[in-house]
Amino acid sequence: MLLVELFTQGLVQGSIYALIALGLTLVYGLLRILHVAHAAFFTLGAYVGILVCNASGSLILGFAAAMAIAGCAGVITYRLAYQPLLDKPPFVALIASIGLYIASEEAFRVFFGAQGISFVDPPLQQQLLLFGTIRLKMAELLVMIGSLAIIFVLSRLQNGTRLGLACQATVSDPQMAESFGISLRLVRDLNFFVGSALAAFAGVWVALLNNLVEPTMGSVPSYKALAIIVLGGLGSVRGTLAAALVLGVVEAYGTIYLGKLLDRNAIAFAFLILVLMVRPQGLFSRR
Amino acid sequence: MKTAVLRPLVCSAAIFALAATPALAEIKIGLNVPITGFAAADGKSALEGAKLAVAKANEAGGINGEKLELVVYDDQASPKEAVPVATKLIEKDKVVGAVSGSYSGSTRAAAGIFQQAGVPYVVSYAIHPDITLAGDYMFRVSAMGEVQGRGGAKLVSNLGKKRVVLLTMKNDFGQALAAGFKEAAPKFALDIVAEYEYALQDRQFGPLVAKVKADNPEVIYASGYYFTAGPLVSQLRAAGITAPVIGQEGYDSDKFMEIAGDAAEGTLLTTSLDRDSESPVTQAFIADFKKATGIGTDMVAASTYTAAYVLIDGLKKTGGKGGAALRDAIAGGSYETPIGKLSFNDLHEVSKDIQVQVVKDKAFRRHSVIHDPVLLAPPSKSGK
Amino acid sequence: MNYEISLMTTMAISVLFALSLNLITGFCGQISLGHAAFLGVGAYLAAMLAKAGVPFLATLPLAMLLAGAVGTVVGLTSLRVRADFLAITTMGVGFLFVGIVRQREWLGGELGIAGITGSNMSKLGFMLFTVLCAILVMALCVYLRRSWMGRVFNGIAEDEDTMRVLGINVPRYKLAAFAIGTALAGLTGALYAYHFQYIGPDSFGFVESITVLSMVVVGGIGSVVGVTVAAALLSALPAWFQFIGDYKLLVYGSLLFLMIRFVPDGMAGLVRRHLFKRRAEGGSK
Repeated sequence: MLLVELFTQGLVQGSIYALIALGLTLVYGLLRILHVAHAAFFTLGAYVGILVCNASGSLILGFAAAMAIAGCAGVITYRLAYQPLLDKPPFVALIASIGLYIASEEAFRVFFGAQGISFVDPPLQQQLLLFGTIRLKMAELLVMIGSLAIIFVLSRLQNGTRLGLACQATVSDPQMAESFGISLRLVRDLNFFVGSALAAFAGVWVALLNNLVEPTMGSVPSYKALAIIVLGGLGSVRGTLAAALVLGVVEAYGTIYLGKLLDRNAIAFAFLILVLMVRPQGLFSRR
Repeated sequence: MKTAVLRPLVCSAAIFALAATPALAEIKIGLNVPITGFAAADGKSALEGAKLAVAKANEAGGINGEKLELVVYDDQASPKEAVPVATKLIEKDKVVGAVSGSYSGSTRAAAGIFQQAGVPYVVSYAIHPDITLAGDYMFRVSAMGEVQGRGGAKLVSNLGKKRVVLLTMKNDFGQALAAGFKEAAPKFALDIVAEYEYALQDRQFGPLVAKVKADNPEVIYASGYYFTAGPLVSQLRAAGITAPVIGQEGYDSDKFMEIAGDAAEGTLLTTSLDRDSESPVTQAFIADFKKATGIGTDMVAASTYTAAYVLIDGLKKTGGKGGAALRDAIAGGSYETPIGKLSFNDLHEVSKDIQVQVVKDKAFRRHSVIHDPVLLAPPSKSGK
Repeated sequence: MNYEISLMTTMAISVLFALSLNLITGFCGQISLGHAAFLGVGAYLAAMLAKAGVPFLATLPLAMLLAGAVGTVVGLTSLRVRADFLAITTMGVGFLFVGIVRQREWLGGELGIAGITGSNMSKLGFMLFTVLCAILVMALCVYLRRSWMGRVFNGIAEDEDTMRVLGINVPRYKLAAFAIGTALAGLTGALYAYHFQYIGPDSFGFVESITVLSMVVVGGIGSVVGVTVAAALLSALPAWFQFIGDYKLLVYGSLLFLMIRFVPDGMAGLVRRHLFKRRAEGGSK
């Protein structure tokens, strides 16, 4: 029974990882940028979500505002920070991203205070009993359903619409895609918008689960999401989802049964290194 | 002239300007504190506590009419930053004494430097055992982790419980608490069912909670700070675990109840600040802190206030002189502080009762007091 | 004076550390996001040995040896993964190191190791020794870059496949870069332990790894002088920024971003462009 509960908890954590890592996959798949500052949009989303929800009393409005604002901030960041660096070696954008992340974490602290903020009256805290044994918070159940739904829709869009195919085309051959009349600019802006909005979506869920949003809440996702997209085989939406869920479950079992040996981060990365030694192309890459 | 309640920016900028112009009629005391970086929340509380102590002293006329000035530097809670900060306080600012409002790592790194320079250093809430071992210029006003852990074990026994699960935070504080708890557990015939560890950055405790539920303990001894404990306690309760949770001084912040909401009710904590204390000193501090900052006090603020207060009290005795005279004055004194009556032993550690607080109607209230000088004896030179 | 001496020592240690990474990332083009782990290996070994009474000068080569050996093993993994993944793999190594040290009681666990003494040098003497080490390593780097090995490193950084076609044993050179770079990080770690006299697991985490990578990139990747200057400046920045108190890290992060955004080839690139411009102007006259 415990094993099932641990598995469920792993899936909850994995769903959050998936939402964060997905945006990163889109960016990485398209531009080969290790976008550490992605986690800043996760934090931004959480702050906007709580502030708007507290002010208006509507969680839906909180979600919408968080995703819209973070999405726009993502596009602006791309235009101002990354676009001019695209032809430079990848580590240049990486360092720019790290600088951005440090500055944004501190900016959150200066604006919103070091102690973090909470919901005045946190919604979705009802407890549910699933299959007679597994107790979950409403928010935990919804985050799993939400992330699966979003990822399903996204992978449908990627494979079934003109725009999705255009995105894929720009990954495999930007020049060719452009000559077919695909606007690179539009595709890249769109990727940053969707990716950052997803991170914000995850941020609001985490705010709901913990009832606490702090300036430093992005520090773990900033690097763990990178590990997930590598595990997922880079650039693949389904691979990322699978990798995130697997990592969530591995961590859930690991913290209980290997906790004395290694901490949570080390378990995650030991797993990553092991996988890469066996499958250097990532867990779910077809190539 | 500047007062110590100015904003940190203005304050440090002014200090910077002043450092260039010598000849000051002020007595300087230093403070290293994490203003930026991951520990900034505690740093903010510590800073406010220290500033309050200095402001109070200056209101009361300072030292023989000379004003006290608090020189504040940010150490980011990092040993690497603390070394230049300590050196700068000693050499550039020529502080007569200093207060640590920071974590163990940075405080430990700074301790050696203050010791070497013969500048008394009063440590507030850093619990690394080696800090006072650095030498006789070191003082610590809070109970060490091991001591608090032993008190926790006694509390479990006082509650009439036996089966405990330990949830240990993976840092020096959590490790020291767990060590003390495990050391004392056999004395009270406690049955430690299991111990699980979590990292300082963790806010999602799903797997731990599921395992604790399966272990079905009578009581949970969970180390943590309010920002880990808030989510932890709320997740434990959400999973239907009703066993009492015992926390420590790290929980001791109004923010804990804000995060955990109703789930916080009934949480016990072993701390050093008794909100229902009859002591006028404690009540005055709680009121003054609220007035100065607009927020409720917490353990970090109270400890740092106390550390600064102890240092200032020593300075009053020496008439503002530092060095060995100040060291001896501090070592010989006994102090009525917000966190109780303090005096230092031969290793400059304090021995005091542990205040057990309980969350009732979204406020910390007195639950009981653990008075056991033998069990709660801090390490001493003779005991080493 | 002690303040300046202490700051100078810190700067020299950062320079050494940045140069050691520059060998791997700058010369050979292998990005590492876990370099602090090797600093940690050296620091922990030196600390344990110093506590056991091993003389200062003997701990340094041992720290180099162990860090270099661990580095070679990590280098072997770098041969297996694609370039894209290397950054993440090395990042994983960094987290693994911290995770392992955290849980080992005999390495001080969370409390770290305090009271590391035994260099038997005055503060001034220790500073001079560290600066001397930094100068020697600089010289070594300049020499290496001009040597055959340095040229091969450069070739690998620019175009690995071509080097393979030329019949060069690419894996062996990559391993050599890892071994030398990590051994130097081990040396730096030993000096770090003696200087700060306290080490804990958090001193060698991800933050330290990206800080040193920033130094290399801001200096101008591959440039010995650029990296030296950048490491010295960036390591002293927090101490100089004390007067802006609350905004210190905000300014640090923004500066890092602006610097790399507008001068992507680092300080070395900036200087080089100015020199060339002047030369070009001079030539046209």
